[in-house]
Amino acid sequence: MAATDIQTIDCLKDYLYRAMQLEHATIPAYLSAMYSIHPQTNSDAYHILRVVVVEEMLHLTIAANLMNAVGGKPDLTRADFVPEFPTYLPDGEKDFQVSLQCFSPSALDTFLKIERPGLAPDANTRRIPRRSRGTAKLAACPEDEELEFYSIGDFYQEIERGFEHLYRVHGAALFSGDPKRQITSEYYYSGGGELRPVVCMESARAAIGLITGQGEGDGGGIYDAERELAHFYRFEQLKLGKYYEPGDVPHDPKGPPCQVDWTAVYPTYTNPRLEKFDASSELYEYARDFNRDYAEFLALVTEAFNGKPQLLLDAVPKMFRLRNGAMQLMRNPLPASKASADSAAAGQPDGPANAAPTFEVAEFAR
Amino acid sequence: MRHHAIDVFLRFSAEVTGFKIVELRGTGESGEYLGTLDRIVGPDVVDELLSAYAELQPREEAEREQLLRRQIFGNEKLGPIARNIIKLWYVGIWYQLPRNWRERWGVREADVTFTVSPNAYTEGLLWPAIGANPAGARAPGYGSWALPPEIPQV
Repeated sequence: MAATDIQTIDCLKDYLYRAMQLEHATIPAYLSAMYSIHPQTNSDAYHILRVVVVEEMLHLTIAANLMNAVGGKPDLTRADFVPEFPTYLPDGEKDFQVSLQCFSPSALDTFLKIERPGLAPDANTRRIPRRSRGTAKLAACPEDEELEFYSIGDFYQEIERGFEHLYRVHGAALFSGDPKRQITSEYYYSGGGELRPVVCMESARAAIGLITGQGEGDGGGIYDAERELAHFYRFEQLKLGKYYEPGDVPHDPKGPPCQVDWTAVYPTYTNPRLEKFDASSELYEYARDFNRDYAEFLALVTEAFNGKPQLLLDAVPKMFRLRNGAMQLMRNPLPASKASADSAAAGQPDGPANAAPTFEVAEFAR
Repeated sequence: MRHHAIDVFLRFSAEVTGFKIVELRGTGESGEYLGTLDRIVGPDVVDELLSAYAELQPREEAEREQLLRRQIFGNEKLGPIARNIIKLWYVGIWYQLPRNWRERWGVREADVTFTVSPNAYTEGLLWPAIGANPAGARAPGYGSWALPPEIPQV
């Protein structure tokens, strides 16, 4: 068994908080692309994005279950929980950033990086060689160390090693959390997979395996353990213009065409911020309302993850209202005066840009 | 796209539907509806309506409302079109103009009753106005029917 940096239960909790941050960080990015697609168009892309984003929500919930299993307290309201976009992923993948942007070739390239299969067959190569950097970043554990994993799968492998190690040290006492805090399928339906309680080492392994399998496939293949195509390969179909079929090997889909119409998209402003809106406009109010609703939603999910799983049922209609609010914003042009200074900046759509949700929740922190 | 026309069209639509311009644009249908009007009654008649509305703009609300009733909704030519615009926003359907309008101002070939687009149906203002979702679209989430409808302030 390879060595792990995770030597204490507190350190494991830090990693699991990172895991929740990581799963969540992908969601605004995927939603920004998905909701920018014109209605009744791009159904291939829309459905691929929808499957993936729903599974990310499942992964976030599984990470919360892992946290609860070891006596941690999932908190989606911490000041650093929602990143400022563009952002690096919290597991330390430093060669790309994730933006909030409309569905576009550059968004798709980012999604392929987010979901890329792990680099590391063993512990010695799972980390990217350490480089010196000038920028400070919150450390996970221990205090002065920065995470630098190549892929989400590599990051979860480390978490699994941590679980194994701490299980050897503490035995069943590792799983000290109240099982009533576990989110199970009765509170979480049609959400991309079955949600099982994490109460022992075996269920912890299965939970981690589900997350990594859905993201990047099982054991180097294109499918996960449920024989569903992994996220990376789902997105690759849009890039390569073909669907995968059973029996295909990675990077060479042989199925029917998978079509994309890059023009049937609302050209939303990339990485929008409230400051880009005219503060006296109706549009500003709507954008701010979305952020308030999102902050309240995260607070409600936090409550659900902390012993009130039934609250997740109340969260469902709120999610759909967030969808309606996001789509409404994306169909409104962002007045040129505020946005035009950046219109030539890299990453912005050509021509006038539309508004989009900014996911800035700091002012609504509790 | 007729940029000036769409601005006035949205201001007029906001006033006669009771919804905000952000919400009207938020349906994604504003260009489609103005295009429908242009196609059916022609840009000249549409501009006549929008000009008549633009002339009311600087006045006080009460006075403007009175003029709106008299000079647009009470106008034989413009009134039926104005009413059709309200229906377009609320239900996404263009209703054939009344017989006496067609006899007086001429039959338009495209002037038949039809739903403008699948999206026009799901984006009808009728749904937010009653705090419901269109049947078969914009799913509100399992169990949401147990909650009271959220009626927006109009």
